[in-house]
Amino acid sequence: MQVEKFYYDNRTVKNFAFATILWGVVGMLVGLYAALQLVFPSLNVTQYGSFGRLRPLHTNAVIFAFVGNGIFMGVYYSLQRLLKARMYSDLLSKIHFWGWQLIIVGAAITLPLGLTNGAEYAELIWPIDLAITIIWVVFGWNMFATIIKRREKHLYVAIWFYIATLVTVAVLHIVRSIELPYSWLHSYSWYAGVQDALVQWWYGHNAVAFFLTTPYLGLMYYFMPKAANRPVYSYRLSIIHFWSLIFLYIWAGPHHLLYTALPNWAQSLGIVFSIMLLFPSWGGMINGLLTLRGAWDRVRDDVVLKFMVVAVTAYGMATFEGPMLSLKNVSAIAHYTDWIVAHVHVGALGWNGMLTFGIIYWLIPRIFNTPLYSKKLAANHFWLGTLGIIFYAVPLYWAGFTQSSMWKEFTESGQLKYAFLETVTYMKPFYAMRSFGGALYLVGACLMVYNIYKTAKAGKLVADEAAEAAPMIKEEARHKGEHWHRWIERKPMQMMVLALIVILIGGVIEIIPTFLVKSNVPTISSVKPYTPLELQGRDLYVREGCYTCHSQMIRPFRSETERYGEYSKAGEFVYDHPFQWGSKRTGPDLARSGTGNLKKSDGWHFRHFREPASMSEGSIMPPYSFMLTQELDTSNTAAKINAMRTLGVPYAEGFELIANQDLLKQATGIASNLKADSIRISPTKEVIALIAYIQRMGTDISKQKNN
Amino acid sequence: MFKFIQQYAEKIENIEVYPIFSLLVFFIFFMVLLYLVIRMDKKSVQQLSNLPFSTTEEPSQQTT
Repeated sequence: MQVEKFYYDNRTVKNFAFATILWGVVGMLVGLYAALQLVFPSLNVTQYGSFGRLRPLHTNAVIFAFVGNGIFMGVYYSLQRLLKARMYSDLLSKIHFWGWQLIIVGAAITLPLGLTNGAEYAELIWPIDLAITIIWVVFGWNMFATIIKRREKHLYVAIWFYIATLVTVAVLHIVRSIELPYSWLHSYSWYAGVQDALVQWWYGHNAVAFFLTTPYLGLMYYFMPKAANRPVYSYRLSIIHFWSLIFLYIWAGPHHLLYTALPNWAQSLGIVFSIMLLFPSWGGMINGLLTLRGAWDRVRDDVVLKFMVVAVTAYGMATFEGPMLSLKNVSAIAHYTDWIVAHVHVGALGWNGMLTFGIIYWLIPRIFNTPLYSKKLAANHFWLGTLGIIFYAVPLYWAGFTQSSMWKEFTESGQLKYAFLETVTYMKPFYAMRSFGGALYLVGACLMVYNIYKTAKAGKLVADEAAEAAPMIKEEARHKGEHWHRWIERKPMQMMVLALIVILIGGVIEIIPTFLVKSNVPTISSVKPYTPLELQGRDLYVREGCYTCHSQMIRPFRSETERYGEYSKAGEFVYDHPFQWGSKRTGPDLARSGTGNLKKSDGWHFRHFREPASMSEGSIMPPYSFMLTQELDTSNTAAKINAMRTLGVPYAEGFELIANQDLLKQATGIASNLKADSIRISPTKEVIALIAYIQRMGTDISKQKNN
Repeated sequence: MFKFIQQYAEKIENIEVYPIFSLLVFFIFFMVLLYLVIRMDKKSVQQLSNLPFSTTEEPSQQTT
């Protein structure tokens, strides 16, 4: 048969590789800075650089910029070679690359400005959400068109992982991003309270699954055999790995909500599937590691293999820990503590980071047609990275256990032993050690920047790499007696539809009942919508990213009800668009800040916002003194009320017209409270609205008791 | 369709059906998958796992 000559596109691969390196360093740098802010609160300079705004910038940069570009780098390289075809369209590749970078720049501008949706890992505002959708479709189009014009009949396992990633991320992103815009930059989540929480963690967990895991497993299945120069250990195992992993992952989200107000049946469902998830995950890890069978001696000299071994081992550790954390009794200890932060960093620094570095060191010399500038520097990078992970994770595991034990400890007379603040100041040395670990990891990455720069300079990019292969013979029908999976492997569309069905089963069974079954969210008659001032205050709470450190969900434990007040009920959150339960307690829970055991006066809050350490000695909270001078923007109050009404919040018709009068009346009341406390401030400042919201939280349910 | 489900799902009483149903769906799915994968013939498995290596760059099996 006549072989065809064609060229692989290496330019796009190079672009994505350089973007991965650039955003990786930026994301890690922001992470290190945020980590240091927890040790030295004075690093919270200006509102644009406060922890609550930088933490989302760090997570988004690492997930979508560093790992995102890493995915595309690996996919564009491996897909062309596995299919023996150039990417379908250079133009689409270009649009994809620049579009994605533009989205990242958009995120890097909007997040420090406080423009956020207030949902973890889905913070980006609606115009950016829309842009992500468009660019994702461009990526999918380019990928599928390449698959269709391929010269290799069968789709290798890595490509199934890419297909599952493409379709699932699309579903997750769309469902999570259903929101009602009320201005060009702002919107409210379509869902409220418990439902918003379920959608959020269905999304959040599967962002881990289908953005940080499945595409990287695809990369593992391609680059690890290539680097080890031997085929994957068991192809059969990879088929089982793929199908059971994508089936199970989608159910696991509710394990982020154990002991919360989420209905119990949904929690149990999440637990069972999370435990089962251990098996396909370890199947994949074993498959990766055993690919090195008979080649382990090469791990000693080959830095690429070193990175890959640590990556796959970290994957194994994180996926063992995940199911264990999903057990209710373990979650009771770990949730809201730094244990979770350690857990995700074993995944991010270990699995994603180390695999990315390994691939970069393998791929750049190949596309630049020159050996790596310095193997020694790369080896140093490997050791700095590995030590960095250990120095990062160990102190935080320790911190997590300590924090949790301190929260739960009672004296003999039945009092809580530690005030919350004591548990915070106790954490500082651990936070310092963690920052050291992060710094080591970052220094390692900087060595890579230099090494790759020198390598690229010494070589020349082979922008169009010549290759040849025979064209594919079209075979439409399935032969008699042919194996089913070989048939599926030839049919990318069927593959996508099947993957879609498999992931939808979990989503549908889990989410639809929570929306439809009324008794899942028992209504509480005394729970009323927020006043306009409180609503404005709540939006400031979202803007400042308070949820990154404060939860609003008291679990039904004695240690929590003693500290904060009555545990949270599902019915209390029915008007919360978006929900703000949070996932971490660097500061105390605020669900009952207006009524419970932690209630403070308006004056206390005012002084606390101005300078937290003046009221709570040793506090690491950033100061919010700019809210004392910034005017509250009330021009959008009517739009907000209208939007909320559309979403089902029972504001009376026409209320939007008098909302600002109502707002000013309540604000004046708070200002005169403050005046009595010898604080003079205009009622039109932002801090007044925030105080109103803080004082409202959790009060509705106590009204019910008084009635 | 939502209305139809809602009509029968007003109460949470029989909700235990959901987890059991889910488990069953996965169990059947997994068993069928396992059966089919075990039945795959060895030659095609080998061919598939060699896909990352094009004909010109077969993995050089080390003999050590």
